[in-house]
Order: sequence, then structure tokens, then C-alpha cells
Amino acid sequence: MKFGHEYETALANEGYPEQWVNSAIDYKHLKKCIKRVHRELESLGLDEHTLAAMNDLVAQPQTPKPTGIDPKDYFSASNPDLSPIQEEFTPQLKVLVDSKTGLALDARLAPETKASLQKLAKHEMVVEGRKKRLEQAKARQQQLQLPDTTDSVLDGSERKESLTPDVEDARWVYVPLASAQDFFEMLEPKLAELDALRDAETRNLEEKILDLGDLVEDVVQPVREGFEAKREISYRDLYFWREMFRLYLEKPIFYSEAEQKRGAITFDEARKNLENYDHTLRETGLLAKMKTPQAKAAAQQFLDLNLQILKVMHFQEMNARAMRKILKKFDKRTHLQGDQFAKNLIVKYPGIKSSKSGAGGFADSIGRDLQAEMGTKVLAIVPQLDDWICPVCCEMAWRPVNLGCCRAVLCIRCVIDLQSKNMKKCPMCNAETVMAANGKNLDMDTMEFLEIYFPMEVKKRQKENEKAQLARDYGEEFVKPGCTVM
Amino acid sequence: MSAPLPKRIIKETERLQSEPVPGISAQPHDDNARYFDVIVEGPGGSCYEGGVFQLELFLPDDYPMCPPRIRFLTRIYHPNIDRLGRICLDVLKNNWSPALQIRTILLSIQALLGAPNPEDPLNEAVAKQWKENQPEAIKTAREWTELYAKKK
Ligand SMILES: [Zn+2]
Ligand SMILES: [Zn+2]
Repeated sequence: MKFGHEYETALANEGYPEQWVNSAIDYKHLKKCIKRVHRELESLGLDEHTLAAMNDLVAQPQTPKPTGIDPKDYFSASNPDLSPIQEEFTPQLKVLVDSKTGLALDARLAPETKASLQKLAKHEMVVEGRKKRLEQAKARQQQLQLPDTTDSVLDGSERKESLTPDVEDARWVYVPLASAQDFFEMLEPKLAELDALRDAETRNLEEKILDLGDLVEDVVQPVREGFEAKREISYRDLYFWREMFRLYLEKPIFYSEAEQKRGAITFDEARKNLENYDHTLRETGLLAKMKTPQAKAAAQQFLDLNLQILKVMHFQEMNARAMRKILKKFDKRTHLQGDQFAKNLIVKYPGIKSSKSGAGGFADSIGRDLQAEMGTKVLAIVPQLDDWICPVCCEMAWRPVNLGCCRAVLCIRCVIDLQSKNMKKCPMCNAETVMAANGKNLDMDTMEFLEIYFPMEVKKRQKENEKAQLARDYGEEFVKPGCTVM
Repeated sequence: MSAPLPKRIIKETERLQSEPVPGISAQPHDDNARYFDVIVEGPGGSCYEGGVFQLELFLPDDYPMCPPRIRFLTRIYHPNIDRLGRICLDVLKNNWSPALQIRTILLSIQALLGAPNPEDPLNEAVAKQWKENQPEAIKTAREWTELYAKKK
């Protein structure tokens, strides 16, 4: 399917809000506009052939032919290009012209083009000082090969513009292209709109993420005042949420955090991630297991929010593609180079600078920012076991001890082990704090926190500890289940 | 009878399989879960590039209170690795911390291949060559890599 068609269809059928569709890149009109540029160039006598020849010449700028003065011979010192005029970007065609005869020195031109170029050359002082100096330096090199030709009928000031020995009065002429201007004037405001839209949608979704955070906080609160009786039930919901978020963190949806491939991803990848996540949730039956209707509603909201992020990402990615395609088309059809324009845009809207891996355009930053937001405002509400692992035994820090040197918490058992091996340094920060540790280093706040949020793990470690204690006191045999049958 | 395998070793082994480090692999033996066959690929851009180095790694009973024991089985020309394959690396000695893991240690070893340190030599002869005629030393390292560390 042709991109244009695919794009229009998606805009019409994906159920985007009207405001989005209005901000979308107007691919169809831009395409028409390119046709107009094409026609305008043709009317100037600059057909595809000529423009292509001009571009070809640029490939060998070192080979101007100073002799054989067929005025129709091409030579070019520079690319016919679109020069940005500070601030205001105006697409123009730059042509090297003999102001006397109106002959374009770059290209073969139709008589009417010559006439209009001649006019322009005579009436405009268009040569920028910098370029002039460059050209003059070049001319001087050429003059070494050919003695200066005789004075022409032109007055002195114009003779100063002399670039080459064989053509007395060459100068750069800028041909403003109205239709090309239209093209860029149509395209640029769209980017401003898309940027504004990205901003608004990001804020809107951030708001929703915050709301969801409140909801989740309420739902997973293990012990709520006045709800003591429901404790067991809430516990279970807490564990379901934890598992739901753990799976979510395991394979981030909108932005890759993997060691090997960190960075933006495409909409297709993100959609696949979300589908897989949804599939896993169904398989585990987590949603169905949730006890309270509030918990179910919040879970649904969580999934919906992810879909909304995906939708914004999709819309922006399509627009980024539309922009890339239309600029490419512009280059191809007009043989004017739109590069400069694209470069200017990136300076103006850093958000569209796309990474290699990603969706491009504003979609990349949307994926990254909202995923981060989801992480800090929603996922962080349900603590994950991984964040409370003792670095020595790699299990939940049981009777957590903080050595006072850094934030790490270790099991008291593991600290005692370190002490008995005379290992003085904190495993995490290398400070010599281990030997001085005692019962006062028990981190009561963390202990309480773990008992609230990880009641099952705490119970399990408690049992293990009791067993280990028995083994230490009475020997390995005592705790062997077989021995109790005697 | 040996004590049951600590949870930590089980977890580390699982993660080495489920999230392998690029250019590194570590497989425990079926009959001894504390003994690993290790493969480290020479880092790109170093004189060991293209080489596939075999090492053995053993987790002593005291692990993680003491570092894993590890040595090269493949011969290698490196100022910090001796003829027996022993490695001079601070985190394997004084700077060991129980918070380090098999994966972090193997990453350090890979990094050591990328940045030989002749100022802290284990193999005096190699270190001397490395300091006095580095291009020649690098050439030898490349030849040894070609000779001993290429998959046949
Ligand atoms: Zn511990
Ligand atoms: Zn510390």
C-alpha cells in the first residue's frame, strides 16, 4: 500500500480525536504543493534535467572549464541550494549568472529564464561577503592559468564581482520560489502543532498516571484503618499487584531498558510488548484473582492507560514518518535540497531528533517520558522484593541491619557472618563499618515496612531462621524430618 | 554429605542463564553446581579480539564471604595472567566484596583483557616486554590469540 493512502486511512479510522487529526501533517496537500514547486521550476526553465545537471556538477566542482568559451557549457562553483536567510527560512534557488548576458553559468536554460535571471542579477546585490571572498579566491587561482580578459562595458562596481576570467560578470542570483515557500509554510506550523499536542497529551496522561497512582495506593494499602478484618484479602491483592507490576518491569513496554539495547523503540515493538504483557496477565489469571472491585477497576485503568500511551505514540510516529517521506519526496521531485530545512527544524524542535532504534519524531520522547512517569508514580507504590535483597545472601534482608555508611540493608545473620570472617568492609560501599555493628544497627523502620509489604516472605525467612538456629544449637540431625519419626 | 546449595548460588546461576552477559558464558557442572566452565570472548579492539578463552571457576564453601577461584585454561599472553592461568585482579583478592557476583567478576576479567596493566604484573616477563616494547608485546598477544584461542 502506498504510504499516503495508508496514512490517510489510519488518520481516518484509528479513532483519533478530531483535534489530533487537525494537527496531523497534511500529507496530501503537501504532495500537491510539491507538484506546484515542480511546475514553477519548469516555468523557470529549470526542468528536472537541468537541476540534475546542476547537482551533478557539484560532484566535480574542481573541473570548471576556463577555455572553449561555449557559454552554454556548464560550470558551477557551488550547489544550487536552498539557502536559509537567518531567522526566516526562504527557499531559494541559487544560480550563477552572467549579469551581462543573463546566461546561467550553471545550467542550460530556456530563453525566458535567462531574461528573468538577467533582471535579477542586475538589480539585486545578492552576493554575501563571505561567499564573495571565497569565490574571489577561487577566481584568483584560475587567473593564474588565464590572463585577465579585457575590460567589458560594465562599470567598475560590477566588475568587482568578477569571478572568472572568461566570464566577466558572474554573480549569484537567488531565485525565490513561491511554491516551495508554500510547502515549508504548510509543513512547519504542523510541527509546532504536533509539539504542542505532544506537550498537552503528555501532561494529560501524566495527570491520569497520578490519579491511577492514588487509586493503586488505596487498593494495595495492606492495612487500612477500620479494615483490619479485610487484612487477609488485601494481602492477596497486594501480591497480585506486585506480580502484575513485576511482570511489567521485567519487559518494559514503551522504552527498552535492556543492557544490550537501551533506547527508544518503534510503535510496532511497543504494541507487541503490550500484547505480550496482556497475554501473560491473562495466562496467570491475575486480574480475575483480585478480590475487591476497586482493585479490579484500578487494574483495568492501568491497562487502559497503557493503551492510551500507545495511541499517542502511534499518532506521533505516523506523523514523523509522514514528515520524513514528504521531505524525501520534495528532494526527489524538485531537486532542491530540503536538508537545511530539516536541520533547522531539529534545532527548533529537539524532540523530533530521532534515535536509530526508535519510532522517530516526537514518539520517542513520549515513550521514554511516560514510561518513566509510570515507574515513579504508579509502579513504585508497590515495593518489589528485588529492592530489598540483602547483597550477601541475595534473599530478602531478614532482620535488616543498616551499617550507617550507606543505604544498604543486610540481614543481621549476614553481618554476623562477615564479622566472624573478619571482613571489615561494608559489601556495598567498602567503608569499615562491619565490626562496629551491633543490635543498635537494626533498622526498625525497614523491618516494619517489610513486615507490612512482604508478610509472606518475612514468615518464610522467620521459619528458615528458626530451623537454622535449631541446627546450630542441636546439630544438623535434629531438624532432619526423618528423625522426628523415631 | 555436602551442605545444600545456598539460595544465592542458585539465583546467580539462574540469572547467568536467563540474562547472559554478551561475550561471556558460565555453565555449572551437572555433578558439581559450584564448578563452572567459563568462556570469555576477547573484547573488540583489543589484541585478544576474536579469541575465545576458556576458564574454570569454583565457588568455595565460604562463598560469598570469599571470592570465587578462577583461572584461565586457554594460554594467553597478558601481563596480569601467569603461565598457570592465574589472574592478578584486585577484586579477586583484597578488594573482594560479598556484594560482587560471578557476573561482575567475569566482566572485570573481560575488562582486564581490554586494558592490560603492566604496572601491577603477575607475569614479570610479559610485563617487561609490555613496558619496553609494547608494539611487539601486542603482536605476540595477537599471535597467541590466533594460536591458542581460536575455535577450531
Ligand atoms: Zn543476607
Ligand atoms: Zn555501606
